[in-house]
Amino acid sequence: MEDLRIPIGSFFVILGVLMLVAAALGASNAPLAPAHVNLWAGLVNLVFGGIMLWLARRAA
Amino acid sequence: MKPGAIDYLILAIYFAYVLGIGWLVKRRVKTASEFLTSGHSIPVWVTSLAFIATNLGAQEVIGMIASGAKYGIMTAQFYWIGAIPAMMFVGVFMMPFYYGSRARSVPEYLKLRFDEKTRGFNAITFAVMTIFSSGISMYALGLMFQLVLGWNFTASVLLSAFIVLVYTYLGGLTSAIYNEVLQFFLIVMGFAPMAILAVWKAGGWSGVMHRLPAVMTHTWRYTAHTSENPMGIEVFGMVVGLGFVLSFGYWCTNFLVVQRAMAANSMHAARQTPLIAAFPKMFMPFIVIAPGVAAVALAKMGIPNILVPANAPNYNNVTTLLMAQFYPSGLLGVGLTALFASFMSGMAGNVTAFNTVITYDIYQGYIRRNAPDHHYLTVGRITTIVGVILSIGTAYVATAFNNILDFLQLVFGFVNAPLLGTFLLGMFSRRTTAHGAFTGLVSGTAAAAATFGLTVAEGKGGWLGATIYHFPSSMAQNFWISIVAFTVCVVVTWLVSLLTQPKTAGELENLVYGLTKIPHEAGVPWYKRPGPLAVVVGILTIILNIIFW
Repeated sequence: MEDLRIPIGSFFVILGVLMLVAAALGASNAPLAPAHVNLWAGLVNLVFGGIMLWLARRAA
Repeated sequence: MKPGAIDYLILAIYFAYVLGIGWLVKRRVKTASEFLTSGHSIPVWVTSLAFIATNLGAQEVIGMIASGAKYGIMTAQFYWIGAIPAMMFVGVFMMPFYYGSRARSVPEYLKLRFDEKTRGFNAITFAVMTIFSSGISMYALGLMFQLVLGWNFTASVLLSAFIVLVYTYLGGLTSAIYNEVLQFFLIVMGFAPMAILAVWKAGGWSGVMHRLPAVMTHTWRYTAHTSENPMGIEVFGMVVGLGFVLSFGYWCTNFLVVQRAMAANSMHAARQTPLIAAFPKMFMPFIVIAPGVAAVALAKMGIPNILVPANAPNYNNVTTLLMAQFYPSGLLGVGLTALFASFMSGMAGNVTAFNTVITYDIYQGYIRRNAPDHHYLTVGRITTIVGVILSIGTAYVATAFNNILDFLQLVFGFVNAPLLGTFLLGMFSRRTTAHGAFTGLVSGTAAAAATFGLTVAEGKGGWLGATIYHFPSSMAQNFWISIVAFTVCVVVTWLVSLLTQPKTAGELENLVYGLTKIPHEAGVPWYKRPGPLAVVVGILTIILNIIFW
C-alpha cells in the first residue's frame, strides 16, 4: 500500500454515506439528539473523506 | 442503548478495513526489522498521529471523560502541564539519542549506554507490563460490550483478539501504526459530536460555567492548597509529580510511544513526530474531557440517566450514557466503532511493543545471538501469537481477581518514574555508570513499592501494614509516589556512579549529550525545525492554560 490516505479517505466517505442514509430513514432512538444530527455528522465525514482522497490523488 | 442494523454495518466495515490494511501491508514486510520496527520508513504525519493514538486507548478516553465529570476541567492538566511539555522535551532533547544510537528499542538503548543488567531489568518489567496492559484492555472491552450491548464476554474478547492478531501478525508494527491513525480519526469523528452536543445542550460553555461550581471550570485557580479542589492536589504536586516525573516518565521512556517516533523515516522526522503530535494533542481535552464536565451540568438541569446512581455516580459509565442520549442510529455506529477501535489499538500497540522487546532484547540478547534475519522474523511472528494468547489469559485473570489488577495497574504507573531518572542522568551526563544506573533503577522501583505500601488513599495502598501518611485522593498518592521513586533513583544512581568507573568517551558516542552530533539544520525552514516548533507549541499551550485559568 503506497498511501494511507486512500483507505482512510474511502472509509470515511462510506461512513458519511451510511449516516446520510440513516438521516434519510429518519428514525431516532436517542432522546436528546437534535433533528438533523446524522445529516450534519454524515456531511462532515463525507467532506473529510473526500479531502483525504483528493490529497492522495494530488500526490500520486 | 439499542444499535440498529446500520450501526452493526459500520462496525463490520471497520473490521474489514482493519484486516485489509494488515493484508496490504504484508507485502512490504519481508525482514525482521520491517516487521518489528517498520524499517525506519514511515512518513512523519503518520508517526505523529500514531504517537498520540497509542495513548488514546479506550480506557484513557473513558477515564478522561469520567475524570472530567469527577474533577472538572482540571483533568486537562494531564494534557496542558502533563503530556505537552514532555512531548516537547522528547522531540527536542531525547530523540537525537534514541534515533542516533540506532537502538531498536528502549531496553537496547539502555544496553548500549549502560550494560546488560539494566537492559534485562527494563526488558522484563516492560514485557510483563505490556501483557497486563493489553489483557486489561481486552477485559475492559469485554465488560463494556457485555454491559452496554448485552454481548457475550468471551465472544467480544475472542473476536477483538482474533482481529488484532491477524493484522499485527500480517503487517507487524507498520500495520499497527496505520490502524492507529485510522483509529485516531475515528475517535475524533466519534467523540467530537458528543462534546459539541453535550456542551450545546447545557447552554454552551458559558451555560456550563454558570451551572457548575467554579472549581469544575478552572484549571489552576484552586490549586493553592489540597483542600480547595476535588483532586486533592496542590501546585507543587501538580507541576513536579504530574508535569515532570509522571509525564516525562511516560512520554520519554515508555517504549510503547517512543517506538512510534523511532519508526519515522529520518532523524528529522523522528524529532518532529512528538512536536507535530502536540498540536492535536493539546486540543484533545475539548473532545475527551469537555463531555464529562458538560454531563454534570446536564444532570444539574434535571436530565435523567446521565449520572447514575444519583447519590454516588459511576463516572465510568458517563461515556456510554451520553452516547445513548445523544447518538441516533448511524452516528451511534461511529461512536461504538470508535470505542471498539481504541480498545483494539490499545491491545495492538502493546503486542507490537512486546514482540519487539522479546525478539531483540530477550531472544537475540540472551538466547540466540547470531541467527539469520528470517529466523528473527519468524520469532517476531511467533511472539505476536504468544503475546495475544497471554493477553487473553490476563483478561481472564482480571475477571477473577479484579482488585489485583487495580493494584498492578497502579504499580505499572510507577515503572516509568525511576526510569526517567536513569535516562536523564544517562543521556545528559557521561559520569553516570552502568552499576549506578542499575542500582538506582532497582532502588527507585523498590522505593515506589514501599511508598505505596506505607501510605493510603481512597482505601488503596498500605499493603505493608503500617500506614504513615493518608493522601486526600489516589491521584495525589500517585503523583507523590512517582516523585519519591524518581528522587531515590537519581540520588542512588549518582552516589553509586561516583564510586564506580564510567565508560570512555569513545564508547559513549551518539549516546550521551556532548558526544552526539545534533543534526545540522541550515536550509531547513523554521517551521520544520524542532526548536521553533517547540516554541510555537509552548506558546499555544500557555494560551490554553490562561483561557481556562
